[in-house]
Amino acid sequence: MAGPPVKFHNSQLARQQRKVAYLLLAPAVIILLALAIYPLIYAGALSFRVDPLYNPKVARFIGWRNFTDLFEDSRFWASIRLTLYWAFVVVAIQMVLGFLLAILLDSKLRGSGLLRSLIIIPVFISPIAMGLNWRFIFEPVTGLANWILSNGLGVEKYSWLSHVDTALTTLMLVDCWQWIPFVALILLAGMQSISPEIVEAARLDRVRGIKYYFKIVLPLIRPVIMVVILIRLVDEIRMFDLNYIMTEGGPGSSTLLASTYDYTIFKHGHLGLMAAYGFLILILINGVVGIFLNTLYRSEKAARQEDMN
Amino acid sequence: MRSTMYSRMLFGLAIVLVFIWLVPVMWVVLTSVKPTNIINSAVPIFFDFAPTLDHYVEVFERFRFGRSMLNSFVTVGVSTLIVMIIALPAAYAVARMNLMHGDTWALVILSLRFMPGMVIVLPYFKIATFLNLIDTQIVLIVVYVAFGLPFAVWILRGFLLDLPKDIEEAGRLDGLSWIQIIFRLIMPMAAPGIAVTAIFTFVFSWNEFLFALFLTLDKGSTMPVALQKTIDLYNVLWGSLSAGAVLQLLPMILVVFLLQKHIARGLALGAVK
Repeated sequence: MAGPPVKFHNSQLARQQRKVAYLLLAPAVIILLALAIYPLIYAGALSFRVDPLYNPKVARFIGWRNFTDLFEDSRFWASIRLTLYWAFVVVAIQMVLGFLLAILLDSKLRGSGLLRSLIIIPVFISPIAMGLNWRFIFEPVTGLANWILSNGLGVEKYSWLSHVDTALTTLMLVDCWQWIPFVALILLAGMQSISPEIVEAARLDRVRGIKYYFKIVLPLIRPVIMVVILIRLVDEIRMFDLNYIMTEGGPGSSTLLASTYDYTIFKHGHLGLMAAYGFLILILINGVVGIFLNTLYRSEKAARQEDMN
Repeated sequence: MRSTMYSRMLFGLAIVLVFIWLVPVMWVVLTSVKPTNIINSAVPIFFDFAPTLDHYVEVFERFRFGRSMLNSFVTVGVSTLIVMIIALPAAYAVARMNLMHGDTWALVILSLRFMPGMVIVLPYFKIATFLNLIDTQIVLIVVYVAFGLPFAVWILRGFLLDLPKDIEEAGRLDGLSWIQIIFRLIMPMAAPGIAVTAIFTFVFSWNEFLFALFLTLDKGSTMPVALQKTIDLYNVLWGSLSAGAVLQLLPMILVVFLLQKHIARGLALGAVK
């Protein structure tokens, strides 16, 4: 058995293997084409039609009318602005506090494993069940929040979720409560995969505590941080369940994020308009992700060039 | 010495913080076993009451929560099973076979996970209405397969990439066939990863709300939709609501404890690889 025949055998094997690989991949691709891509195209077609839910007979093609109607609606622009504001503020808070929480949890003492599984609970429980219970907690008369605030801090009882000036902040608080642990645990996994030599070198150099985390850990886990920001941004832009269950966009439209606005359009029966707005949310997400990745790529390139000089 | 003192202090702070963090969850559990007059007391009562299961009885009798629980278990269980059967071969192909552009395939599949639900739900609503499938378990199973699949392929791929490179080669030298290599060598080694992926898929669908809200009304509704209904109709029944919420949350909290060690790794794989 010399070299060449083995090679030939291998390449034939490789070709055969590639065929098997496509065969294994095919079911997933076919299902996704049928259940995700086809509905997407269907939604695209719907966005050019007027299609009232309660009067399907008048459904017809109307070109770009749904989109121009949205663009002329000031409430549409307000909801887009609010959604972007929401996403950036909430993700910023989650990243900063998530990083600090990860530092707190980065311990090898006994019981730290248990602590980690306790703190992850909010991530795994339903925003609907918890959102409803947060409403109970923020209930003006019998709620736990008002009791703690009035007894502990002397703040007067307040109906946090039904006032324009506090509803959005309250919603942000609940969302951060749920997602900071997620950010923290992923950053923690990143921290703990830093090679022991680097950790040891830092220890010998007497780089400890906060300085260790900000000077050494932070640059090393930058890729993980970027991925987490991306995941959170997408999820916050398309946010629906918590928003719907806690405020349904109200009071007024002070918490009316894009997806919830789109849902109210559906409830009014304007299916074509709803599809158009849905597409605009998709474009918004792609736009934000695109800009984010682009700046990331550029700053990476600039950093590399600096290294070379 | 100083550093151990320091790390103990940090750890103590972490314990306090985690405790505060979980107060809302404990509050739900407490509320669910409180008599109604205690729930509605203006001064919160923490432990000084006779626990009752009335609210649990009520959610089953009045809100037919048993049916929603069954719906949740059936739709989520069946869809998770289907997702795993389809995702495993696909993940194996992109992770360990010499597929052209394996990483690109994986990324394209993953990107579908980030599609906003609002875009996709309308076509499903129209098709389901047309086929008379609104308010059935079938339509939700189909949706959860579509939405579970991308993430499952991605995480499984991460776990499979983590296995040593030469398993297949070793198996082949031992004269094992393709099928034998996969079932006797790869599957046992990837078992924890497969379990974590299945659980994650289950959790996402278990908590899913948007599609369930659009595609079910009553008979086919899952637990999140049923919960939301209790508060729409009877605005102040916090007890029943909490009991229902506990029933919905409990399986997930169990999952967290069963999988303690694997969860962080699974999350990290999903985000990092």
